[in-house]
Amino acid sequence: MSTEFKGRREDRRLITGTGRYTADWNQPGQLYAVFLRSDRAHARILSVDTAAASAIPGVHAIMTGDDADIAAMKNPPSNVTWEGRGGMKMNQPDRPVMARGKVLYVGEPVAMVVAQSAHAAQDAAEAIVVDYEDLPAVIDLEEALAPGAPQLHQSVPGNLPFDYEWGDPARVAEIFSAAAHVVRLKHVDQRLVGNPMEPKAFLAVYDATRDIYDVWSSTQGMTMMKGSLAATTGVPPQKIRVHAQDVGGGFGIRSNAYPEYCAVFAAARRTGKPVKWVATRAECFVSDWHGRDFVMSGEMAFDRDGRILAARYDWIAAMGAYCSPTGANVHTLTPATTSVGTYAMAAVHGRIRCALTNTTSVTAYRGAGRPDIAYMVERLVDEAALQLGIDPIELRRKNFISKDAFPYTTPNKVTYDSGDYAGMLEDVIKVSDWSGFEKRRSESKARGKLRGIGLAVFVEPSGGGRGTDPNQAMIKFGSSGNIELFSIAGPTGQGHETVFPEIVGRELGIDPSLITARIGDPDGPPLTGLGTIGSRSMIHHGSASMLAAREVIRKGMDHAARELEVAAQDVEYAQGNYRIKGTDRAISLVNLAKKLGGVAGVHPLDAGAGMAHTSAFPGGAHVAEVEIDPATGVTEVLKYYAVDDCGNIVNHTLLEGQMHGGIMQGAGQVFGEHGMYDKESGQLLTGSFMDYFMPKAGLLRDIYLGDHPMPSPTNPLGVKGAGEAGTTGALPTLMNAILNALRPAGVTHLDMPATPSRVWEALRKAR
Amino acid sequence: MYSFTYTRAKSLAEARAMLAKDHDAKLLSGGMTLIPTLKQRLASPSQLIDISRLAELRGIADKGDCVEIGAATRHVETSRSDVVRQKIPALAHLASQIGDPQVRNRGTMGGSVANNDPVADYPAAVLGLGAIVKTSQREIAADNFFKGMFETALEAGEIVTGFSYPVPKRAAYAKFPHPVSGYAMAGSFVADTGAGIRVAIVGAGPGVFRWKEAEAALSKSFSVAALKGLAMPSAGLSNDLHATAEYRANLVEVMTRRAVASLTGEK
Ligand SMILES: Cc1cc2nc3c(=O)[nH]c(=O)nc-3n(C[C@H](O)[C@H](O)[C@H](O)COP(=O)(O)OP(=O)(O)OC[C@H]3O[C@@H](n4cnc5c(N)ncnc54)[C@H](O)[C@@H]3O)c2cc1C
Repeated sequence: MSTEFKGRREDRRLITGTGRYTADWNQPGQLYAVFLRSDRAHARILSVDTAAASAIPGVHAIMTGDDADIAAMKNPPSNVTWEGRGGMKMNQPDRPVMARGKVLYVGEPVAMVVAQSAHAAQDAAEAIVVDYEDLPAVIDLEEALAPGAPQLHQSVPGNLPFDYEWGDPARVAEIFSAAAHVVRLKHVDQRLVGNPMEPKAFLAVYDATRDIYDVWSSTQGMTMMKGSLAATTGVPPQKIRVHAQDVGGGFGIRSNAYPEYCAVFAAARRTGKPVKWVATRAECFVSDWHGRDFVMSGEMAFDRDGRILAARYDWIAAMGAYCSPTGANVHTLTPATTSVGTYAMAAVHGRIRCALTNTTSVTAYRGAGRPDIAYMVERLVDEAALQLGIDPIELRRKNFISKDAFPYTTPNKVTYDSGDYAGMLEDVIKVSDWSGFEKRRSESKARGKLRGIGLAVFVEPSGGGRGTDPNQAMIKFGSSGNIELFSIAGPTGQGHETVFPEIVGRELGIDPSLITARIGDPDGPPLTGLGTIGSRSMIHHGSASMLAAREVIRKGMDHAARELEVAAQDVEYAQGNYRIKGTDRAISLVNLAKKLGGVAGVHPLDAGAGMAHTSAFPGGAHVAEVEIDPATGVTEVLKYYAVDDCGNIVNHTLLEGQMHGGIMQGAGQVFGEHGMYDKESGQLLTGSFMDYFMPKAGLLRDIYLGDHPMPSPTNPLGVKGAGEAGTTGALPTLMNAILNALRPAGVTHLDMPATPSRVWEALRKAR
Repeated sequence: MYSFTYTRAKSLAEARAMLAKDHDAKLLSGGMTLIPTLKQRLASPSQLIDISRLAELRGIADKGDCVEIGAATRHVETSRSDVVRQKIPALAHLASQIGDPQVRNRGTMGGSVANNDPVADYPAAVLGLGAIVKTSQREIAADNFFKGMFETALEAGEIVTGFSYPVPKRAAYAKFPHPVSGYAMAGSFVADTGAGIRVAIVGAGPGVFRWKEAEAALSKSFSVAALKGLAMPSAGLSNDLHATAEYRANLVEVMTRRAVASLTGEK
């Protein structure tokens, strides 16, 4: 079904340097904003003296959190609308757009200067004098929840804005107390900084004559940007026009409006001039919302034969100093969703406490709870295999949800749509020559190297977005028969401009090159839906595009019948033509569209469709083989094998791109990425690329991708998400491989990141 | 960045005169260290005096028993020079390991050595080979040039003009790149020179230093076996979020062994 790859339409501009990112847009007469940020983790603001700064030539405005326009802005509500443990409601602390009275993390915006030039704005920001009184800060998650910890918000006792519990605690307790074996693990799932290549930026233009705001920003979806700007500023969404042509990476952290955007928005109205802000890389490190950051304990109960009976989790999830709109959601509900993994078990119980610390907020970041739970489950299963003396392949086979059990409802009432975990496992152990590993291990040993092999079989939710409006797409015809597809997906490199027209072209039976995708066009029809988050674009926006094409065909029937002078029921549509059944008399869709013409931008064949929110459950079986040099602690990934079920495959090359990127991003966390704070001062220690590890191409030189598609019955394309699967698989697969290599040397525990020094230290301690 | 004036010096003499007049002026060579500092407003020089194109500071010359390299010679030129590759392949190899292509196409030997970053590579070659650092006013032996972290014997207004590297009998550089920055987490330059064995270490400590115990051991027998049991003390080595001092000490031992092995063919 996958189409032959003829290149991506967006690549010509992206690889010739003619893409246009937010910073590439300028408006005549624009002013420049610069933010002064807190350099301390927790302090009372005694005074902010802007006198000297205001006197700097070129300064138009200086705004702080107490400025009336800024103070009037509202924190958007959390999207956690369900109850937590004991009926607890999400207790989200109020986040000001800029600090008011207190700063709560290093990097929090304290004041914004708007000036004629970026240079003058920077000079003025430096001339602002802030008098602080330091307060005790808390960085560590366990310490933040302990009695006596410094309290961040009066309104959130115990630094606990949400305490989530799922499953059946009594049943699980009963099973654990009677179980033959219990396996326990505790892991740290470290904080990450997302680091999209494009730094965040915002350009706002307020047209007072029309009372309309035009804003340029890198976003994963115009409706999300518009909605969150509106929720914060109080300006109705229909008065905000969002422009985003090219977006240099999102990964979850470019979904909603950042506080800085709202301040710049207000400044454009205040000054009556366009205002532009481009963050420096150093600012992005401390003010882009971060990802992951859990302390996770998990246990699994087994019977005498190695059957999994139940699982239980007790985690703490970092929120940062304030909750991002989605942090508490994706770091509680998402891991809970697949907390039984790919295994049939009787019961599950988990608790995730969200903790506030004096750090940057945490939000969804590629995987957003999925890699975290897959890591825990697959580490537990590997550990169990070791402790029970059962082969890890055998143990998994024994416990998988079977291929014919779908749709399968887990003990925590989640319905997995389709899957074949055992089949994927068989595929991957075959291609990776799993059974020949011991020979390769001894060959490495002869060279003084420690070789390891690791496996993970996982499932994850994709799509979702319940409770929001359907995802719409619309097809519009021009009078020359040209076709435009409107979508509000927010591509950040996925290739939507190429693949959505392919879907429509295939459905209509016409050459996709006749179709132009207009994605996130502020002049397009007002479509509803979410953007590109949660591995959902193909499921929702791809399906909406397909449904819109079907609607075009349906609408054309009567018109074609009239043209062909027969009754509609005598006409059939195939391969781009309406044909009188059983004859060769036909009219092509393109010719019909030309004939019908249309007036004033409206064409009789224009058609839209909406795809309701739905979830599909992609999965995979991954194997990695690694070799560790005990002298330096360096791990080399010799080969990575990924067999995945992403449902039907629409465009194989684009799917490969998603898998490669996802696996690489997982490898980044495994081998080095670490958003590390100083526990005393609350300074971000890894605040530049001199200290923050980024995965480079050489890290994974050989990735095998295998397909094991199990079409999803939840959407007309039969697809499942692919954007996060690679990351979800990579964490447990690579860490299981590393531990497998280290075990013969006596190492039994290692947390990510497995940097050379940490691996070497683990070996030294085990000696 | 703060504002500054920029001047491209026409001669070494002019650069010297400008520096002498303005104590807040700074030399600009490749700019690979200086420009990022300026961009972050961590330095505010009154003016930048660009010496990177001065003919007097450029070029590589084969002087028989030594190789002379101008201070403004870029890393890529050192790494690809036929003279360096024939006479001191370890130095060409070292230069090829610095940073990335952009950095190697702009960064210069003079800028790197004058800066004396403890994790930079060139200081290992300068000290390891016992080179002479030539400046606008004198010649300084490598053993007297490096004074610890970012400190050198250079006086205010003194300009490094070039280097004279004695050609060793054999030499090798083994580097363990920092997994994040790519600079040396530990680098060991081992040279068998007319004046004896020299082992210079960068990356691991607060500045380049000679590992005298390894030199003594290798003088007795130039072999990996001679290093057996020789431990690098971790005291005084860097200990930070990326690695412990013990790990760095271990890397010094491993890199020194690997440098020697690459010369002796041992495993
Ligand atoms: C991304 C990146 C990666 C890097 N990786 C490495 C690496 O792996 N290994 C490594 O060793 N280095 C590395 N570097 C540093 C690089 O080698 C620099 O080029 C070098 O440190 C400085 O040389 P420069 O010519 O750019 O000096 P500049 O930045 O121009 O100057 C540096 C300092 O020296 C002074 N100076 C310059 N020339 C002279 C002179 N002739 N006499 C007296 N003072 C002078 C300047 O005033 C300034 O204070 C890296 C740099 C970057 C940006």
